[in-house]
This record gives sequence, structure tokens and C-alpha cells, in this order.
Amino acid sequence: MKTTTKIIAVTTAAVLTLAGCSSGESVDLGDGTSDATSAPASSDTLVAAIGGEPDQLDPHITSAYFSFEVLENVYDTLVEPDDSLEMQPALAESWDISDDQLTWTFTLRQGVTFHDGSPLTADDVAYSYNRIINDALTTSWRFAAVESVTAVDNSTVEIKVSQPTPNLLALIGGYKGMAIVEQSNVESGDITTNPIGTGPYSVAEYVSGDHITLTANPDYWGGAPSVDTVEFRFISDGNTAMTALKNGEIDWTDSIPVQQVESLTGDDSINLTVAPSTDYWYLAMNENRAPWNDVRVRQAVAYAIDRDAILQATTYGTGVLNQLAIPEQSGWYTEYHKYSYDPAKAQQLFDDAGFTGATLDFLATSDYPETVTTGQILADELKPYGIDVQIRTLDFATWLDEEGSGNFDMFMLSWLGNLDPDDFYYAQHRTGGGFNFQGYSNPEVDALLDAGRTETDVAARKELYAQAATMIADDVSYLYLYNPAVIQAWSPNLTGVSARADGAIRFRDAVQG
Amino acid sequence: MTTTLDVEHIDSTRIASWRLLLSNPVTVVSTVVLTLVLIVAVFAETIAPYGINSIDVPGALQAPSSAHWFGTDDLGRDVFSRVLVATTVSLKVAVVSVAIAFVAGVTAGVIAGFMRGWFDTIIMRVVDVMFSFPVILLALAIIAILGPGVGTTMVAIGIVYTPIFARVARASALSISVEPFVQVSRTMGVPAPYILRKHVLPNITAPVIVQTSLSLAFAILSEASLSFLGLGVQPPDPSWGRMLFDAQAFLGQAWWLSVFPGAAIFVTVLAFNLVGDGLRDVLDPKQRSIMEARAKK
Amino acid sequence: MGAVLKHPTVAFLSRRLLHSAVVLLGVLVVVFSLLQLVPGDPIRIALGTRYTEASYEALKSASGLDRPLLVQFFSYLGNSVTGDLGVSFRSGQPVTELLMNRLPATLSLALVGIIIGLVIALVVGIWAALHEGTVSDAVVRIASQFGVSIPDFWMGLLLITVFSATFHLLPSSGYVALTDDPWQWLRHIILPASAVGLVAGAILTRYVRSAVLEVVSMSYVRTAKSKGLSRRVVTFRHIVRNALIPVLTIAGIQFATILGGVIVVEVVFAWPGLGNLVYNAVATRDYPLIQGTVLLIAVMFLAVNLLVDMLYAVVDPRIRLS
Repeated sequence: MKTTTKIIAVTTAAVLTLAGCSSGESVDLGDGTSDATSAPASSDTLVAAIGGEPDQLDPHITSAYFSFEVLENVYDTLVEPDDSLEMQPALAESWDISDDQLTWTFTLRQGVTFHDGSPLTADDVAYSYNRIINDALTTSWRFAAVESVTAVDNSTVEIKVSQPTPNLLALIGGYKGMAIVEQSNVESGDITTNPIGTGPYSVAEYVSGDHITLTANPDYWGGAPSVDTVEFRFISDGNTAMTALKNGEIDWTDSIPVQQVESLTGDDSINLTVAPSTDYWYLAMNENRAPWNDVRVRQAVAYAIDRDAILQATTYGTGVLNQLAIPEQSGWYTEYHKYSYDPAKAQQLFDDAGFTGATLDFLATSDYPETVTTGQILADELKPYGIDVQIRTLDFATWLDEEGSGNFDMFMLSWLGNLDPDDFYYAQHRTGGGFNFQGYSNPEVDALLDAGRTETDVAARKELYAQAATMIADDVSYLYLYNPAVIQAWSPNLTGVSARADGAIRFRDAVQG
Repeated sequence: MTTTLDVEHIDSTRIASWRLLLSNPVTVVSTVVLTLVLIVAVFAETIAPYGINSIDVPGALQAPSSAHWFGTDDLGRDVFSRVLVATTVSLKVAVVSVAIAFVAGVTAGVIAGFMRGWFDTIIMRVVDVMFSFPVILLALAIIAILGPGVGTTMVAIGIVYTPIFARVARASALSISVEPFVQVSRTMGVPAPYILRKHVLPNITAPVIVQTSLSLAFAILSEASLSFLGLGVQPPDPSWGRMLFDAQAFLGQAWWLSVFPGAAIFVTVLAFNLVGDGLRDVLDPKQRSIMEARAKK
Repeated sequence: MGAVLKHPTVAFLSRRLLHSAVVLLGVLVVVFSLLQLVPGDPIRIALGTRYTEASYEALKSASGLDRPLLVQFFSYLGNSVTGDLGVSFRSGQPVTELLMNRLPATLSLALVGIIIGLVIALVVGIWAALHEGTVSDAVVRIASQFGVSIPDFWMGLLLITVFSATFHLLPSSGYVALTDDPWQWLRHIILPASAVGLVAGAILTRYVRSAVLEVVSMSYVRTAKSKGLSRRVVTFRHIVRNALIPVLTIAGIQFATILGGVIVVEVVFAWPGLGNLVYNAVATRDYPLIQGTVLLIAVMFLAVNLLVDMLYAVVDPRIRLS
């Protein structure tokens, strides 16, 4: 997996802004670039190798995981997930919900400043959220129920919603794509290369193609970080990254060849962590096209494929098979084991449906080599049933376009960084849902998902989603495959870091020595 | 200058050429290798011991053995079978693209060299412009427009190698069309197509044949590069370049994944190059006198 | 003035310059046409799912595609000449800036590559020429043919397999600027530059060998030998020095070829140069960036060739006749 470009799959419809950089106008790279010198490698510098370069650093625009690995340390959200993915206060110190559940009032933390020294106010919060809503940015779906965001006074923000939204905190705090940005930084266009946030680190230097250097923010509201400088290097080749880690040239990396995890596990010179993640991989068949609109054909496919083979070939056993989306470690997990590798049953279902054969247009993308690998496995496994799998390998942008236009028979993709069950199921499986590209429609599921959105009792809500998820998998709206692992490694000298299930890379509590 | 004389002359040249060609052991060996490669290309599907897409994940990444001569890849497929079948794909792309370049380039070059004047000037400036783009870069730009795939790869490589054929064909056509007997024929009103067929084409064959052999070598390299970049042959179809791309993730673990497909490219390209060189030595008059002199020694 | 222009060297140089200018214009036409030849609407394609009316209009007016074709061409011409190559469809940054960020990496790779190639070629080529006709000469000639037939990216993979993956001696990817850390720069550049240089060396060896052979056969060398100068003096003072001129010419052209040909090697070694840039630009259909890279590399290619030709004309006036 040499050039894996991880892209947050929750993002599909962004606006490309060219603010402040018309043709040929140079973009100010910020203070650090004029006297560009690499920080000396001292014990105060943490060198982290990530697998690729961010496409840009505007948290509201980028959809690349590489960007968020950096931005996690630069920006803050009103609330943020802790280690067990529960929402905790961040820029918002506290919040109140009105009795009708329709007005949320957030009180901001006092004395928080941006990296340029200007104070954080409620206006900044309102500006950030309204930017996402008004510009219809990628993440605007998270504000689908939001009617207005207003600054009541300097430190109070009011969010009005059209219906009770028990998962609002997860929506606005799930990841740094919902960061609070500075208006002047956005309008000058500098945000793409020199973002100014409120987080534990500020961007000091960005050398395209090579590295991004962050320096500790001494005024960070959570206390100044222990490590002075964090340098993110872009090393796509996992072998190089592992060698560099063992040689002490880098201190942390997630650029790790998955096929080597087994042999690296016993290596004492590094701390290798393979932790379960909230991500999941799935297949989806186009229900607007025959024969995939027949539930028996989709179920037949579910019995015809060997999930173990796919899991082994794509994750080398580091992932966990799961026939639903939500992983076992989550409080929202539901037991479900309907499908197994059963060619006889598959043939029976194909026969029942009167299916004799078809070509299958499989959308794969070179940005996720897993999809190409799985496509080749499917081509071999589905051939005996008369299915001719044609793999179309596209770049991810084209891929998304084809997915959006419904131009496929089957595709494989993952969702990353989801927390609330609504994130996992609503947009994907509700009739007409924003990401329901497979065209699934089941009124019972719709009713359950709608009820889940407004149900405030946790136990009742869990039951609603368990029922909905079971129906979704029974109908093979998604053919769920597995939850991949978060794989990270760091030097034994480094403490205070952990491989988080949501993939957030936080260095603010890191200690070296 | 009678027709019979011409034929006899050409025939005797041919016989001498073959003899010269066979007197060079390097050329003989490379011709044999090339013939083997061509046989593999035609019968690959039959020779291959396993299905090229027969996946066996538990049997993945096995080292070469008597069951799998070239080992197995990350999906447990037989590398030997895939290398064999990829020969067909690579040669097909190379032959079609060189054919495109040949037809377009030779046509433009012959007309330019024969007609001269403004047409020649324009064609040669276009050729100059195309020569200022490095081959792979130009092919990449063409694929960026047309989209990736086998078909567009053939077109891209074909376009990229057109100017070299144009230049070679023009030079020969030009040198023959200034010969007195051609000039005389033209003033006597002999139709141009007749002169072209009778005098010009026979004289450009030698350099064009040499160029074709060398271009096939370059076309195979180009296809491998483009497939390596993921823009040429698409999976699950096997191609040497794509196999090398996939091998990158296993360099320390499974040497056979990168060694065998690369060696296949190397051997094929080398064979085309050596045969091309051998042909040039024989067909190029300047080289030929040296060789004949040596042969006499 | 007129007399100066009639001087054969000056006349040749001005003809050569004019020719380059014409070709450069042709190159600009081709590069400009790239965007026009994209089937469908390149902006719509580039935006993909990021498409909104606002983003579409913003990009369209920024790239000037809403104007008539001729106006577009002349503004492209004018902008290119002044170094303005438009903005990247993907990142919104000026293309020129992106190119300049990546140029040092590619230049250093090509330079070190050609140096490695030249060293190999000079040593092996001269040695082979001085032993013409022997078995070792034949071995050298076959070896150089082998080198020419090896795909440079395969060479790269083999080097990584041996030196990085197996013995962990050198890093298999990444780039460190010479100004940042010379030692690390060297460690990172050795493998990719060797992959490029070994293949270039194989090509150059043939030229060195034949250039030396040609000089050896010339009368002044025979004169020098007959004057009883020692073999070493003859070899180095006369033969090598005179053979160096054509060899440097070929080396210049080879350098230009490497500049445009390192794309695949850069991808193998994750080398942050122009090759990797254009590779990613093709994948993301960032047409202005593709155009910019193609133009820059073609211009460098033209410039090196022009320079080589002009130097050659000054050093060796004979070629003006041809």
C-alpha cells in the first residue's frame, strides 16, 4: 500500500474557493517561509511521518485525511471526543438545551486566543458555521437540522434546530472539519497554506512536497504542550518510514505496510499499536438497476463472497469482520451474523431470482488500493455464477462523480470517523438520503431512522438503530465487510500518545524523553 | 535500367543481407529469443499452467517452487502464468502503437521529403515541436486528455513515436528524390505515385525497418512505464508494468514479484534492440562496408 | 553591424535562435491546446463532485475559459512569457509557485544522475575504445546494450530491494534539500540518481567509445605517437580532451532527456520533483498544472539543446557548415 491516499469519505460535495489567489498572484505562505530553516533535531522536536501530503490546510474545504492529521493539532471545535469518543467541552465550556430541545446555547471558554493573538469570540463561531452552511461546503449536511447560528454576546452562541437533535454535539465536534476558523485568515486566502487556529500548535513552516512544521502554542487554553516542535514529514513508503523510526530519524508514524504488521509486532525497538477503529468498509449494489434491484440477488452475492479472503488480502488480518457498520467496541454495537461463505445457498438464491448471469461494473479507485484488490477477488469468486466483473479503476474525484451520478453496478468504499449511529445509517440508507447512492428504500427503515434522530432516551434510541441496522443488512443495502484497524507506531521514548479509534492524531499531551 | 536487372539486384542484396545478418552471433541469439517471445505472446493462454485470475488468498506470497515457478502474488495468483499472458498484452500494445506511428510518420515523411517546399517545412517544424516533449511526458499529457486504458495508451505511444518515423522516412525520401534519375523521371511526366512506389519506397525500407525494430523496444518500455503509473493496462488484466507497481509493497518480502516481470521487460526490449542493431549494421550502407571489411579479415 | 551579422558564427547562432523561437511558439500552441482538447468541459470534469455553480464560475473566470479562443491563446501566450501559468484546479495555488517548489528536487536528481552516468561512461568507454576489438571491448558493448534495455524504474525497484529492503543501508524514498543537511541529501539521492545514472551511463558509454575511436584514428594522434610521447600522455592530453567535446554534447542532450524522463523514477522513490507533481496532476485532472509542467520541461529541454548547439558551434566551427 505504497501510495494510499486516505480521504474522509463523509465529504462529497465541496466548493472550490479561489479566494485571494487569482491567476499568478502568489500566495503568502506565512511568516516561517521567508527564513526557511528546518528546526534542529533536538529532544524538543517530535518528527511524525504521515503517508502523504495534505491537499490544503483549510479545515472546512479539505477532505484529505492527511490534512486532518495535521489540523487536529492546529484547530479546535466547540466540543471534542475524548478517548472513549464521548463528547467533552473544548472551546465551549458548557451548554444548555431548551425544554423543547430546539435551542442549544453554548458558553465559550474565556481568554482563548487565535495564534495571531486575536481573541476568540462568539462571532468567530457563528462565522465558521455560517460559512459551512452558506457556502454549502462538504460538511453542510451536518447542519441539515440547524436553522440558525447566532452570536448572542461575546461569549455566547445560540444554535436553533428545526427538530430535536440529540446528536448535535457529535455533529459539531466529531472531527476538525468543523473547526472554528478566523474570518480574516479565510478572506485573505492564507488559510490554505497558513491556517490560524486556536489549537495546541500553530503552523510555522510548510514546505510543499516535504514537511509541515508546527510550534507549540504557549497560550493554549489546555496548557502549553510539552513538546516544542512537531514536524510532519510526508513519507508514503511504509518501509522507509519503518526504517526511519527504527533509526530514530522519526518519532511517530502511521505510514506502516499492513502486510508487515505481524512481523513488526514483536519488535521491541518500536511501540506498534493496532487498535480497532470506527471506520468500516462495505460494498454497495445499484438498486436502480436490474438485476441488483432484486433483494435475492444481493443476498446471493452476500453468500457468494468469502469475507475472510477479502479481510486477509486487504488488511492482513488486522481488521475485524463485521456484518454491520458499528464496531464491537462501540456502545451502539449490535450482534448480527446472518451471512456466511455458502456457495450452495448463493446458487439457490440466484436460481430463485431467475438470475443466469450479468456483467457487473465495479467502481474501484487507485486512491484506495483495497478496492482494486477486492474487485479482483470478486471477479474470481463471482465468475462461477455467470457474473463478469469489470473493474473500472478511477481517481477518487472521478470515482465520486460516477458514484454520485449512479453510474455503477457495484462499488466498494469506507466511511471514516463516524461516531453517532445517525452518522452511520441515516444519510446512507434513508430513502433519498444524501449518500444513498445505491438507491435503497424501505419505509420501515425510514421510520426507524427518523425516530432515532429525535429520540432522546439512549436505550430506546439504541433499540431503534439495532432494528434499522438489522433490516439494512438483511436487505443488503450495504454489504458490510469489516472494520479496519488504526495502525500507528512510535518510538519507545514517546509517551502521552495513543492510537485513537477515530483516527485523530493528537500530540498535545505527548512527552519525549 | 530494366526491371529484371532491378529485381536481380535487390534479390542479391537480400541474400547478402541475410548472410551478413546470420554471421553475427549476437543477432542470431537475439533473433531466436525474439522468436520465442513472439511464440509465447501467441500461445500464452495455452502455455500458462494456471488461470491468470485464479485467486487463492491462503496461498499468497509463496516463493518460487516447482508448483509455481515464479512464486505467487499477494492474492495467491501464479506469477509465471501472469508474466506469460502479459507478454500478449504488451506486444499487442507495442505492435499497434508502432503501426500507428509507422503509417502516420512514414506517410508524412515521404510526402514531405518528396514534395519538399512549404509542406516539408510545416511537417518538419511540427516534428521539431514534438521532439521538444520528452516521450513519457507527452504520452502522459495525451492520456490526461483521453483518459487511462489500453486503447488510449496505444494512441498515446503511437503519437509520441510518429515524429521519429517522419524524420527517418523524410531523410531517405529526400536523398533519393534528388537523384538524377528520379529528377529525370519527374520532368518526363512519370506520375508521382509511380515514382514513389518504384524508386522512393524501396529505398526507405531499410532505415524504416531498423527504426521499427528499435521503436518496438521503446514502445514496450513506454507501455510498461505507463502501466506502472496505473494509466495503461488496467487490472485484473496482467501487464508487466502493473505487476511491478503492485510489487512495490512487497520489495523486502517477495523479491520474485519485482524480479520476474522486470526481467520479462528487459529480455524483450533487449531482443528488439539487438535485432534492430543487427539489422542496422546490415542494412545501413556505411556500417555495412565496415562489416564486410571485417568479414573479409 | 552588417559585417558582424555576416560572420558565420553569428549568422549560425541567430539562425539557431530563430529556429528555437519558432519551435517554442509551436510548443506553446501544443500546450495551450491540451486544455482545449479535453472532451467535454475541463472545469466541470476537474470539479467533479465539488461542482457548484459558484465554484464553477469562479474557476471559469480565473482560468479565462469564458473568453473567445483567440483571446485565450494570446493571453496564455502573454502570461506564460511573464511566468504566470494560471492556478491549479485542485489547490488554487499559482502553478508557477508549485513548479518552482519542485524544480530543485528534479534538477538535483538529474544532475547527480548525469554525473554518475558520465563517470561510468568516461571510465568504461575510454577503456573499451583503447582495447578495441578485444573480448573486453565486446563485453562492454554488450553490457551497454543491456543497460539501454533496462527500464529505469525496474532498476530503481531492484536497488531498493537490495539496499533498502534487504540491507537497510539507504532510505528508499524521500528528499532532503542539500542546504538543509548535506549528508542526508546524499543518502537520499544515491539510489534514485543511480537508477537514472546507470541507464544514462549505458547510453553515454557507446558515444564515448566511438568518439574516442574517431579521435584515435585522426592524424594528429598518430603524429603525437610518432613523436614518441608516452602512451599515457597521448591518451589523456590528446585523445580524451578532443573526444570530450562530442561527449559533452551528448551528455547535455541526455541531461535534458533525464529531466523529462524521471517521472517514473520519481514515483518509485516518492521524490518530490516535477515528475511526481505531473503524475499527481494527471490523476486529479489538474489541467493547468499538467500544462505548466509540460511547458516547463519542454522549455528546459529546448534551452539545454540550444545551449549545447551554441557552445558546440563556438568550440567546433565545422558544424556550421552542415
